[in-house]
This record gives sequence, C-alpha cells and structure tokens, in this order.
Amino acid sequence: MKWSLPALAALLLFYPFILTGPFYWDIGVAFLLAAISASAWNIVGGYAGQVSVGHSMFFGVGAYTPLLFYHLWGLPPVAGVPAGMLVSLALAVAIGMPTFRLQGHYFSMATIAVAELIRIFVGTWDLVGAAIGLQGPAVGRAWWDLTFRSELPYYYIFLAVLAVVLYTTFEVERSRFGYYLRAIKAGERAARSLGVPVRATKLKALMLSAVFTSVAGSLYSIKTGFIDPESGFGILVSVQMVIIAALGGAGTLFGPLIGALLLVPLQTATNTWFGGGGSGLTYILYGGIIVLLARFEPGGMHEWWQRVAPRLMRRSHAA
Amino acid sequence: MLLSAQNISKAFGSFLAVRGADLAVAEGEIIGLIGPNGAGKSTFFNCLAGDAVPTTGRVLFDGIDVTRASAEAHARAGIGRTFQVPATFEDMTVLENVMVGAFLRHHHRGTARETALRIVEMTGLARQSAQRARSLGTPGRKRLEIARVLATGPRLMLLDEALAGLTPTELQQAIALVRRIHELGITLVIVEHIMEVIMTLAQRVLVFNQGHVIAHGNPREIVANEAVIEAYLGRGHRRRREAP
Amino acid sequence: MLLVQVIVGGLLLGAIYALFSSGLTLIWGMMNFINFAHGEFVMLGMYVALLVVVWLGGGPASFGFAAAFALFVLGVIVYISLIRHVMRGPMLAQILSTFGLALLLRYTAFWIFSANFVSLPQVSLSGTVNVAGILMPVPQLVAGIAAIALTLALHLLLTRTTVGSQLLAVAEDRNAAMLMGIRPDRMQALAWGLAAGSAGIAGALMAMSYPWSPSVGETFGLTAFVVVTLGGFGSVPGAMYAGLIIGLIQALSAYWFGPIYKDIVVYALFAALLWLRPQGLMGKA
Repeated sequence: MKWSLPALAALLLFYPFILTGPFYWDIGVAFLLAAISASAWNIVGGYAGQVSVGHSMFFGVGAYTPLLFYHLWGLPPVAGVPAGMLVSLALAVAIGMPTFRLQGHYFSMATIAVAELIRIFVGTWDLVGAAIGLQGPAVGRAWWDLTFRSELPYYYIFLAVLAVVLYTTFEVERSRFGYYLRAIKAGERAARSLGVPVRATKLKALMLSAVFTSVAGSLYSIKTGFIDPESGFGILVSVQMVIIAALGGAGTLFGPLIGALLLVPLQTATNTWFGGGGSGLTYILYGGIIVLLARFEPGGMHEWWQRVAPRLMRRSHAA
Repeated sequence: MLLSAQNISKAFGSFLAVRGADLAVAEGEIIGLIGPNGAGKSTFFNCLAGDAVPTTGRVLFDGIDVTRASAEAHARAGIGRTFQVPATFEDMTVLENVMVGAFLRHHHRGTARETALRIVEMTGLARQSAQRARSLGTPGRKRLEIARVLATGPRLMLLDEALAGLTPTELQQAIALVRRIHELGITLVIVEHIMEVIMTLAQRVLVFNQGHVIAHGNPREIVANEAVIEAYLGRGHRRRREAP
Repeated sequence: MLLVQVIVGGLLLGAIYALFSSGLTLIWGMMNFINFAHGEFVMLGMYVALLVVVWLGGGPASFGFAAAFALFVLGVIVYISLIRHVMRGPMLAQILSTFGLALLLRYTAFWIFSANFVSLPQVSLSGTVNVAGILMPVPQLVAGIAAIALTLALHLLLTRTTVGSQLLAVAEDRNAAMLMGIRPDRMQALAWGLAAGSAGIAGALMAMSYPWSPSVGETFGLTAFVVVTLGGFGSVPGAMYAGLIIGLIQALSAYWFGPIYKDIVVYALFAALLWLRPQGLMGKA
C-alpha cells in the first residue's frame, strides 16, 4: 500500500479545491479537528490502553487559555496556546501520578470526575466567563489574531497540526517508548518483568496526549471565537474523541482518521435530518455504536478490515 | 553467591503461603525447584522476581538488597523470569515481543532489532518471527517468553514451568535450549514437575512443601528422599513401601 | 438547629447513596468490572416509579417494587448480552461497553422523556415529622430508613445466605468456585441483577423527594464512584459508611458554600482520595 500515503496527503491537501465552498470547507475543518483530537487521545487511550473518558479537560484548558489571554490582556489568542499546553501538562501529571499506580479503572473514573469538576467550577468562575463563557476578537486587529472570514486558512492550519500529530505518533510507534506503550497495553505484569518502567511510561503518554489535545482545543476556540464550559469541558467532547479513535481503530496510526472520516459526515447528516433536537438522537446513535464496537469489534474498522480484506482478496482472485 | 534468599515468608492475610524458605544460588549454577501443587513455589518465585514483597526475609542479588525492589528494578539488575501461564503480548509479533525485551539494554530501535533477531534465531522462532504471538500454541508461547527474557540480557533466569506440556521431541529441543542458555553464562532456577528435566539439567534441587523447603541436595539424593516421596504421594505410600 | 437538620437531611440522602453504591461495589469486587452506566440505572428507577404512579396510580410500595424488579431484569439482560462477552477482553472494550450503554440509556431517556425536570406526584407520603425539634419531611425519612434497611439486607444476603456465599465464592476465586459446582456465569448474572435492582429502588426512593431529569444519571454515577472508592473496593459495609459520609459532606458543602459547590466538593474529595488513600476505608489495596 505504498501509494496510499502520498495519495492520502494529496487528497487532504487539495480537498478544498475539489469540493469547494463554505459548506464543504466547514466539514473539512470539522473532520481535521476531530482527527487531531482523536489522534491525541489515541496516544494514551489507544496505544497505551489507558482509557480516558474525560479528555475534554485538556481540550477545554487549551480552548479557554487563548480567549482568556485576549479577554484579560487584549493579546492575540495564539499567545495563549503555550499556556494551555503547560496547564494541560500539569493536569496530566496531577491525575496520572496517583492513578497510574492503581488498577486501570481508577484512572478512567478519575478522568470523568476531574473533567466534570473543572466544568462545573469554570461555570461558576467569573474570571473565565462563568456560564456565559468567553469570546475572541470579533474583528481581527491584525493577521495574528487569526480571525479569517473564510474557512480556507483554518483548513490549512489544522492540516499542518494534524500532520505534526500524525508524524509524532508515527515516530513514537517505532521507538522504544512506543514498544513499551504497546507492551503495557498487552500485559502490564509481563512488561514490568521485562524492565518496562510502567508508571513513568504511562505518565509520559498521558502528558504527550494532553499537550496535543490542548492544541486541538486552542484551534477550536480560535476558529469559532467562542468557548463555554459545555463546549470546552463537556462530556460529549470526551465522547467524540473516544468514539472516533475507537471506531477507526484505537492504537493504530490512521484509525482516528478513518473514524473521523466515518463519523464527521454522519454527524453533519444526522444534525440536518433530525434538526434541532437532532443532537439527542445523534448521541443515542453514538452510544449504540460504542456498545456495538465494544461487543463485536473493539479493534474498530482497522481490525475489521484486516480480517475481512484477505477473504475479499481471495474471492476476487478466485473469480 | 549470585542470588541469596534468606528466611523468606509470604502471608496472605492469615494464610502463610511461604514460610522461612532459603535459597542460595552461585553464579553459573542450575537449580531445580520441585514440589506438589500449592506448595508455595510460585509465590516464592514471585518474591524472588520482585512481583511480590516478602512478609519477612531478605533477597540479595549480587550483594544488593532487592527485597523491596520493583519487578522493573529486578529486570534492570539482571533477574529475568517467565510465567507459569505464558503472558506473551498477544497482538504483537514474535519479533516485536522479543524487541520489548531487547529495548531494556538497547535504547535504539536498530540495535534492539538486531539483538532480537539474533535471539529469535537462537531460540528457533525465526520462521514465526512475523506472526502474532496469539497464533502460536502454548509451547511456542513458552519459547517466546524465554526468548523475550533472554533479550533483556539477564544474569539469572527464573523459569516457571517453562517446559510443561511439550511433546517428547519438543521437550528435548527445550532442554537443549536451556543448556545453550546456560552455556551463555546465565544462572538458572527452574521450577518443574517433569522429573526428566530436573534429573538432566539441575545440579542441585530444592523441594518445597507447604511453604518451606523440606529437602535439598543433588537430584539422585532427592529422588530417594523419604520426606520428598511422602510429600508427593502421601503417608500411605510410605507405609506400603515398607511392607515386605 | 438548622445545621442539625442539614446534617440529618444529608445522612438520609447518604443512605440512598449507600444503597445504590453497594451494587456498584459488589460488581467491582466480584468481577473487577466498573459499571459506567450505574448512574443511569438509578435514573431509570426514578422514571419507572413515575410511570407506575402516573399509569397505574400505585403507591410507594408498588413503585418501589416495580423499579427494583424492572432494573433487576435490565441488569441481568445487560450482563447476558453484553458484559459476559467483554469481561475477558481488552480494557478498552470493557470500559467502552458500559460507557456506551450509559450514553444510550441517557439519551434515549432524553428523547422519550425530554430534558425537563419532573417530580413524582406524591399522594400517600407527605407532610413533615417533628422529632426532637428536627423537622423531617416524611418521604425523605421513609426513603432514608428504607435505604439503610435494604443495604443491610443486601449485606446479610451476601454474608448469611447460601446464595450469598456462592456469590462471594465466585468473587474470591472463580475457578475454585466452579470446582465446587457453582456456576460463575449464573452468579454474575445474579449480581448484576441485584446491583441494578438496588440502583433502581434507590432511584424510586429518591424520586419521592427530589425532582429529576435524564441528566441526573451522570451525577449519580460519579457519586457512586466516589462512594465505592471511599468505601473500599468490593466492600458493601464500606459503601454504607461511605455513602452516609458523602451525603453528609454534600449537605454541609451546600449549606456552607452554596448549592453549586456540593458536587465540586465531592469530586475534589475523590481526587484527594486517589492521592492519599485509594483503598478507602475498608477495602483491600
């Protein structure tokens, strides 16, 4: 499949010129954002097998800091991105250190609890806009405010970030760190017996994942120019990351992309079909998909394809 | 003494799985550990390997106190172990499994891979190196575990029933492999039920029963030892043997 | 005096927390499995109570029983169709299974019942009782007492009956239990039924005093996590004490800091527990 990677890159690069206009560009941007977030989650949830269901905490932090920097000090939102990354890093350490020495469930429970804690708390804190949230610059004062009227510049910025996340994941996969992550997922006790520093490795994975998720959040709030507790820290933000990665194939490089490819158009479609109340039905659908995945194909589409493709090949050769 | 375990006890609540067990292994030896099921061998092993912290006693490795050290630290110090029920990384290939072991001493992918390839070759897994571990049968998995631990460059290997469930041919191959490992200079402590393995490989044998060592000597002495026979077969057998 | 009332109110609610959390800790101790949909079981119990009252005009006994029974059945169904299959698989599948179930149940409830808060039209139990100067609303008093009684009953069931010892045997050592002729599968299905049933009846008890919407499941689920962590992995008595403590802390937080903070304090307590004493009050580490 050597040709597929350049083909994919070309497709992503030229997509806005293949399908033109705000409607398609909007979907494209949504796809990229979903792919970035899910790929970020994938590092700790997919490769290391530490299932975080509260990753919105990192997304929210990354989403709030740029608008906060603008709101408090009039700085361009981009200036807040590194701060978001630092805070997310600290949060990752705060959560990972106690829970990674316990059974896996504690980590998962902690992620939900802390995400909720932050969401509620931010909703009461006036400094960060409380329940109303924060807004970015309505009209850009200069190019570095990144307030573009067209989706196109955002598309390419997001694409660049996606490329960075994917490349990092690729390098991780081949490295000692990556092998250790997979060993931890496959069997912690055996990994320990081979000298894998389990706790430290998990922590590193969470930190890396947190930083990337934070950047995804920043991209989101810079583009939409608005954030509130629900869109930053809500459980549905966490759910979306998990389902996209899991649907495509958690623990694989392109799994999150495949998941985003399947789910983002689906979400756009259901939102249109079901109208305003559509989000309720969309989440019923999400819940159902997650349950079915867990029950029948936890490896996602990637795993399914690996099982089915050889059979298809054989049949086409026989024909 | 490469490994010295003194007065090891391990309690689970009020149940004493191991009590006052001692073990001294000199570098280059092959020690056999036998005993009926439930005698505490695996728990003792876990204490030696850092998987469990003994309630009393000390474990010294090359003079360093490793009693409370983590399993990771044990591996880094040079103690490797296999598991009674193979715990291979099912979704990773044979080569990848061994590479995880190799990465302990070789931080770069290139050298880790080379080491892993060499070991895969040596342990007879070359043909399956690209297969997922889950596609191997139990004998294959046991061999993979050995290969994986070997890749960590241990000075001492604790093998927990690594030769169980093999056909006669496989058994001979496995015994030959263990000999090759020994020739590399690695000290071995082997838990086994198969007497042939103990007789041919072990230089000294410890017999466990109900948590402590009941006999200790070379294989020939052990097999003839009354207490050992009684442990395995019960009192009645001893009386029957005494009748003319 | 108001403080004492707050304390009593908190303990009564805490008793209900104890009831539904004991089911969660039973499953956790027995199968090393965390049910992320447990809060939704409570929420569904509340709606079952509502339906019984509205459609059948039933009183507390009938809607309590209905909630227990309906959720018991749901629990068994969930075990047989889903949990049994993911139990022995990868962690991701295990966590996703009940997490996805939670979403499914929650948003289906949103769709059927809408997001509006509802409350139970209360007819039989009403009014307040004055006990030594403390005013206690009858529904809350009855609910609290019933919850304690049921939690105790569950504990006794587990420790004093044959079925209970079979359940505990499976929890202790699955293989040994099989050798003794116990069928782990059946016991685990029963455990799920009991856990869901106790969650359901807890919901029905709460419905007598508090309004709710499908969103409460999420909060109850998290509360249950905190309670079982504080009480200790697998310990039903632990869940009982922890439930009371959490109810108390929540009530005091609302009283001293304001209602918004009641959840924040509980979640913060959870984080602190993880750092300082994850094995909780009575659990094995």
